[in-house]
Amino acid sequence: MTVLKTENLTKIYGSGDNKVTALNNANLSVEQGEFAAIVGTSGSGKSTLLHMLGGLDRPTSGKVLVKNKDIFSLKDEALTIFRRRKIGFVFQSFNLVPTLNVYENIVFPIQLDGNDVDEKFVGEVIHSLGLEDMKNRLPNQLSGGQQQRVAIARALATKPAIILADEPTGNLDSKTSQDVLSLLKVTGQKFSQTIVMITHNEAIAQMADRIIRIEDGKIIKGGEPND
Amino acid sequence: MTKVNNKKVIRRLAFRELKPNRKMNFMVILSIVLTCILFTALTSIGGNLLNGFQQETMRQVGGDRMAGLKYVLPEDYEKVKSDKAVRDAVYRIIVGQAVNEDFRNISVEINCAGDKAAAESMFCMPNTGRLPEEYNEIAVSTLVLDELKLPYELGITVPITLDVDGDISEHEFTLCGYWKGEKVAMAQECWVSGAFADEYAPTPTVSFYSLDFPEYAGYWSVDFNYANSWDIEGKTSKLITRLYGNAEFIPDTGINWAYTTSNVDIEMLIGGIVIIFVIFAAGYLIIYNIFHINISANIRNYGLLKTIGTTSKQIKHMVRVQAAMYSAIGIPLGLIIGVLLGKVLLKSVMSTLNILSVSSYSISAGLLMIVCIIAALLTFATVMISCHKPCKIAESVSPMEALRYNETDISTKKKNKKTSKITPLSIAQNNMARTRKKTFVVVLSLTLSMVLFNTLFTLINGLDMDKFISNMIVGDFIVRQEHFRYDGEEFNTITPDDLQYLSHIDGIQEVDAVYYDFEFGNLQLEGKPLEKAKRFYQTYSADDEYGELNSITENYLNSDVYGVTPTIINKFEPIQGTIDTEKFSTGNYAIVYTQYIPLGENYPDDDFFSVGDTVELKGENGKSKSFEVMAVCEMPYTLSTQMYSMLYASIIISENDYFELYDNRNAMTVMINAEESCFDNVDTQIRYMTDSNNSKVVLKSRQTYADEYADFLKMIKLVGGTLSGILALIGILNFVNAVVTSIISRKREFAMMSAVGMTGKQLKTMLTWEGIHYAVFTTICSLIVGTLLSYVVVNGIAGEMFFFTYHFTLLPILICVPILLLLSAVIPSISYRTICGDSIVNRLREN
Repeated sequence: MTVLKTENLTKIYGSGDNKVTALNNANLSVEQGEFAAIVGTSGSGKSTLLHMLGGLDRPTSGKVLVKNKDIFSLKDEALTIFRRRKIGFVFQSFNLVPTLNVYENIVFPIQLDGNDVDEKFVGEVIHSLGLEDMKNRLPNQLSGGQQQRVAIARALATKPAIILADEPTGNLDSKTSQDVLSLLKVTGQKFSQTIVMITHNEAIAQMADRIIRIEDGKIIKGGEPND
Repeated sequence: MTKVNNKKVIRRLAFRELKPNRKMNFMVILSIVLTCILFTALTSIGGNLLNGFQQETMRQVGGDRMAGLKYVLPEDYEKVKSDKAVRDAVYRIIVGQAVNEDFRNISVEINCAGDKAAAESMFCMPNTGRLPEEYNEIAVSTLVLDELKLPYELGITVPITLDVDGDISEHEFTLCGYWKGEKVAMAQECWVSGAFADEYAPTPTVSFYSLDFPEYAGYWSVDFNYANSWDIEGKTSKLITRLYGNAEFIPDTGINWAYTTSNVDIEMLIGGIVIIFVIFAAGYLIIYNIFHINISANIRNYGLLKTIGTTSKQIKHMVRVQAAMYSAIGIPLGLIIGVLLGKVLLKSVMSTLNILSVSSYSISAGLLMIVCIIAALLTFATVMISCHKPCKIAESVSPMEALRYNETDISTKKKNKKTSKITPLSIAQNNMARTRKKTFVVVLSLTLSMVLFNTLFTLINGLDMDKFISNMIVGDFIVRQEHFRYDGEEFNTITPDDLQYLSHIDGIQEVDAVYYDFEFGNLQLEGKPLEKAKRFYQTYSADDEYGELNSITENYLNSDVYGVTPTIINKFEPIQGTIDTEKFSTGNYAIVYTQYIPLGENYPDDDFFSVGDTVELKGENGKSKSFEVMAVCEMPYTLSTQMYSMLYASIIISENDYFELYDNRNAMTVMINAEESCFDNVDTQIRYMTDSNNSKVVLKSRQTYADEYADFLKMIKLVGGTLSGILALIGILNFVNAVVTSIISRKREFAMMSAVGMTGKQLKTMLTWEGIHYAVFTTICSLIVGTLLSYVVVNGIAGEMFFFTYHFTLLPILICVPILLLLSAVIPSISYRTICGDSIVNRLREN
């Protein structure tokens, strides 16, 4: 089943002489449970693509379909709510709320929705990411790797349709990077979670099921599952 | 050692740093302007008030020179003039007094001014015409012309009856100049020519002080200044020693008490200091906050500057230069607005405080400069002190720390945080907790204006017009002399005819007269009162320097005797006994009161007299009469002579008893009650009598005092309202500033929260909750501090005022709360909009 699909996605920044086409008619689709990596050099448009997929930024033209729903047909508020229900984010700079402890950070999106927390599921997620001992700590008392594990737990906790990871290991050393990525992959499989990750690191990309290459805003390889 | 000139580059850097920060620049400058306005308005009111009092006193004294020599000879003038400590010496030649019939109400001196400066020094320089030159010319004040009923025209004939040490002569002068007379001056001046003075008051040959029977004519009065007004008395006595040494005849000196009487009492001084401190605090709170926020925001820049080799000292210097730049813009603006505001307020203050000559002197440029300099210095000091701490932070930052610096750093002491349910409210609470210091400063700043407003309200609320008026006036109208004086003037000036006239005015309900008499030793003491008085004498005679109590040893007291129309005593509030008008009108009853001034409010030991005692009054021509004490009660201030001696008794008897003892049939004071609908007519009718030429009495109506009270209230409202209004503005500015900067500095945090699914609505709710926290804290603080201040300051200080009734109230704070809540709810969500323009992605990218 196709969870995520883009149709002729284009993003143009600026106008006139300053016009930059960040994304040029990008088409890709991702299947349920897949772990896809988008790779490209810096400035290739991979971050722009990821932001579009997550509904953080609106495209100039084209569509993003999540479970066959055109997310940009939604208004801003509705889009935000859609995002917290269907999309989990893992950022390069962790982006944990500094005043909330680890557990609170993990359940933050659920509680923002006003829903009760599925304690059993969240407990499982916390267990699989090895965060049981630091549930009450504040983010600034954690190492980078630990913070990123919390961010992954937060992304998983809402049982989203897709997890979007933006250079999740960019701020980590190589040993920690390996650990965090293994955890991401393993937990993704365990909870049969679709994951789309961007990276510029070939070695990291190799851990994915599929590698999507992007250059100058165009997808040049791996846009479709059987590419 | 090489001297490095890096001042320029630092200054350039400081300037560049400021450029992009438009909003913050505006905030800082606005707060400096507000602070400066407050200081300027305050110093200008204070300074002008002091100066006003001094000017007023000088005009009363009739001269602006610091000291003078009295009745000296021309050679003394030369001596003084050549002394190195003396400046601006002037002289006038004493001729005599003008004793025309028309000058009943003013005292007029005839002198010859030495020169223009002499006339100017006495505020008596003709502004139309000139000083006399020809023999028969004269220059006078307009008040003199008014009394003579002459027009203000040069060349007219001015008749003067001149009294030169008892020799009376008639003269006709030609008017050569006149100036606007000062009503407050003790004497009006008339200048005659030197030639005239030579003839009628030739310069004597011997010292005035050698004469057994001194005559004043022809002697000189010499007035002069010193370099400054510090210790004029000391300087003068030194001058006298220097000039006269051991000479046989040493001239009398005079000190201008405009310089020596201190116009500032301790309460005024403390009040001033408190207000300065409040303004300083308000200014400090906001300027500190803005600088602190700015430095936190720029801390990475400072870190960067340090990594490339800027020293701590240079960074500190940079922040200082920035502060100075802000001051350079803010202070002049504040000065201009402050001076204008001060002018408006001053007018109201001066006219309320009854500084009569307010219209005749304008604010001098010199004083204005001093005011501006003081206000500028105070403001500049506030700015510099405010930026001291933020400066330290900038200075002490280490480059690496700075790069990681987070304004909203969480204290690492806190290891764990208990898990709780997340709502916009709970996040807001967390956010408030992590910026405790800032919260405190903002809350304090808002509290300051709320509390001040509350205090002001309590004060105004407590002012009791009825108390004020009832203390000033009994009945609807009072006819009496403006001031009584112990100088042989007749106290009783209202004739029986006048009384007749008054009682026949339409609408009059009651006309009660008060007659007054004072005779030395008129109250014989015996029996119980004498015992009490003797006991009293034993207790206090040791402190009695001037022998005020000696009469007790001779068994008598000096007492004021008031004969009154019996109905008037209905208004009295006795300390002991009861007022019975009917019994009183039958005669033989007295209402008494004794007071020893040094004891203040406490009359000695339940008064010398008590109900049932007998007092024996001596009247004129050996008449005497005994009275039974009906009540112990003080004569209401309005009806009394309003003069006191150290130990005095007042005896109030009925008018018939009074007529038995004394022959005078004129009344001192008349109290009139009228039908309210006829007040205007009655007022006019009475004025017809009091304004007539020969009348020495004036009319005081309840309305006059109500107006006076309204003026007073207006002044307090105007000055206090302006002050607390500006403070409120500062408080709100501080609040807006805190909220806006906290939102801007958390731009990325908010972006991140919306990335993981916090909607704009939820964010706004959170921000609104934060605002409400400010409001709630402010309310709590205001209630606590407001209560304290209300009890201590308002009740303690204003409670001293006789027309103040203390009512505890926190109503103004409670009224402000909804407004504060509204502001605190609205401002954050408006500010949030400013950051919404940016997309989440862009906001996330910002560090």
